[in-house]
Amino acid sequence: MVLLQQIINGVMLGSTYALVAIGYSLIFGVLRLLHFAHGEVFMVGAFIALCSVWFLNAGPVLAVVCAAVGCAVLGVVIEFVAFRPVRRRSGGMLAPIVSSLGVGLLLQEVATNIFGADQTRFPPQFEATVYHFGSLFVTSTQLFILATSFGLMLLVHLFISKTKYGLAMRAVAENVDVAGLLGINSNAVVVLTFAVASALGGIAGVLVGFAFSAISPFMGISMTIKGLVVMLIGGLGNVYGAMIGGLVLGIAEVLTVGYLASSYRDAFSFALLILVLLVRPQGLFAGGLRAGH
Amino acid sequence: MRNVLVGLSMLAGLASQSLMSLALISLALISLALISPALADVQIGILMPKTGFGAGFGAEEQGSIDLFMSKYADLGPAGKLKLTIYDTRGEPAQAISLTRKLIDTDNVLAILGPYFSGESEAAFPVANRAATPIVTPSSAKPGIAAANRPWTFRNASTTDKTDAALVVHWLKRQSSPVRKVVIFYDGKDAVSSSDGKAVMPAVLKANNIEVLDSISFQTGDVDFSAQVTRAKALGADGIVMTALFTEAGHLTRELRRQGMQQPILAGVELSLDHKFIETAGDAAAEGVLTGADFNRDSPRPSVVAFIKEYQERVGQLPGNSSALMYDALFLMRHCIMTTGVAGSSAADKAKIRDCWAGLKDVDAPIAGPSSIDENGDARHAPNFLIVKSGKFVVDR
Repeated sequence: MVLLQQIINGVMLGSTYALVAIGYSLIFGVLRLLHFAHGEVFMVGAFIALCSVWFLNAGPVLAVVCAAVGCAVLGVVIEFVAFRPVRRRSGGMLAPIVSSLGVGLLLQEVATNIFGADQTRFPPQFEATVYHFGSLFVTSTQLFILATSFGLMLLVHLFISKTKYGLAMRAVAENVDVAGLLGINSNAVVVLTFAVASALGGIAGVLVGFAFSAISPFMGISMTIKGLVVMLIGGLGNVYGAMIGGLVLGIAEVLTVGYLASSYRDAFSFALLILVLLVRPQGLFAGGLRAGH
Repeated sequence: MRNVLVGLSMLAGLASQSLMSLALISLALISLALISPALADVQIGILMPKTGFGAGFGAEEQGSIDLFMSKYADLGPAGKLKLTIYDTRGEPAQAISLTRKLIDTDNVLAILGPYFSGESEAAFPVANRAATPIVTPSSAKPGIAAANRPWTFRNASTTDKTDAALVVHWLKRQSSPVRKVVIFYDGKDAVSSSDGKAVMPAVLKANNIEVLDSISFQTGDVDFSAQVTRAKALGADGIVMTALFTEAGHLTRELRRQGMQQPILAGVELSLDHKFIETAGDAAAEGVLTGADFNRDSPRPSVVAFIKEYQERVGQLPGNSSALMYDALFLMRHCIMTTGVAGSSAADKAKIRDCWAGLKDVDAPIAGPSSIDENGDARHAPNFLIVKSGKFVVDR
């Protein structure tokens, strides 16, 4: 029973990792570049939701929508300000990575100045109801998170595999130049990718804010690193890998804490990463968006 | 002083072609001579966390610093009290380099800070080697000042002194006896870790309490579900936690959410911060017992006045960290005034060191009669505080 409860705990934690990692993977899949400010977009999403609750008296659903829209806009701005100019001037990997790190720091500092360095949280009416089943328990927030995460994962899957825009995205991921020759506006696809990925990141921020009653300007840093781990476990740029990888990491972390000690948590996550890279260097799901159905 | 000289030499280099430069330099030298009496002001360095996870503690300390300086910046014949404040971000590495900077570059007489035990462990040897007095207002892990004699002090009681009384009080007030406990501790925070791994278990054992498991988490964690699920299966009848206020808040919330209703004892690391109750929620925090140096309900007139003035100036109630910093500033000023130091010479520093080492029943505004023992530590009797309807109240 304890093991079952721990696995439930792990799935809850992992589903938020998965949401962050899907956004990460989308951007990597299409652009082949690491968006190190994605964790900070996640953090901004939580704060946008908090503001919508404070000033618009929003409920959970409206808060999620506000965060998604706000972060989509933020993601597009980041693409225009921090990625596009750098991409145009240098073909290298390094410049976009550094400029995205810069954007991340900027967002963190701005958030610290506006909201302060202390943790804040959603007001008590967002407090979860707890459902007990024998010695097992889940909370209403956890169910909301699970439903939202899996719902969004399904939507992303349908979007990529079934729609015209998803097809364009996959074409650009395959080869930017050829996609351009075939009449696809690759710049527009990149903007779309940033919007979708950032919206997902923002939603993940709100969900984590709900689940753990903790929102702080520093919540993005660890998510950036965990998102990266999840992406590597799942397969670079592969959205389905990111979903599974997130759950795997969440469960691994919880089991480490539950049966060993919290100090081993990150060591185990990274050991898991190394193991996956040794056994399956391409990650659990190979091929990025290209092979992505 | 060094800055001025560097500036002057740069100035000289730039303008060396013209005769005008000579005139400029002599003018600058004259003005330096004119302002030099101001250098007699007494410089004290302060290390505290203004950003990072300890920023809340830093804000509490800053409130006390502002209030104190508005009242007591004047030192009489010694000039004015000048503070140089640096942000350690709660990081030991920063604490080390900023301690060096305060001593070597800013040439301070003495240092107040750093805040955390981990920082103090790192910074104390630096100050001790440089023969500069350093006083942490807050760090509570046993042995840190004792390991760095004779230049280091703290104006806080160590956990080995407070825990024994705290545990006995907690056990005595339970309606059904507590025999088996689970300890939760922050493995990353120096004082919480030493308290949860060594100090508390020894005290509990001395009271014939069995420790079923010691479960760790890390500073900054927000998800405690795995730890609580693990503890739930053990059948403890009491919970002891040594954690900073934010983590303690999240842990308490999760304990109650998973249905663990056992009585909770929180160590002094909680620092009597009201944000513990905000984070846990009023209902979950109800009945949690903790200990602290500061008793906000104290009838002492100087405490009542401090709370009133602090609130008027800062717009918030002072916390435990505010109180400790205020007393530390008071005692430092006391030492400056009584020893008659006027600068930062080696002799001046030795006088301040001897003053701290010999503090005996000096009437500090908040803690009252304050003394420093042979290890360099203060000895305050802990106040027992319990959460009732969303507030810390004194539990007798």
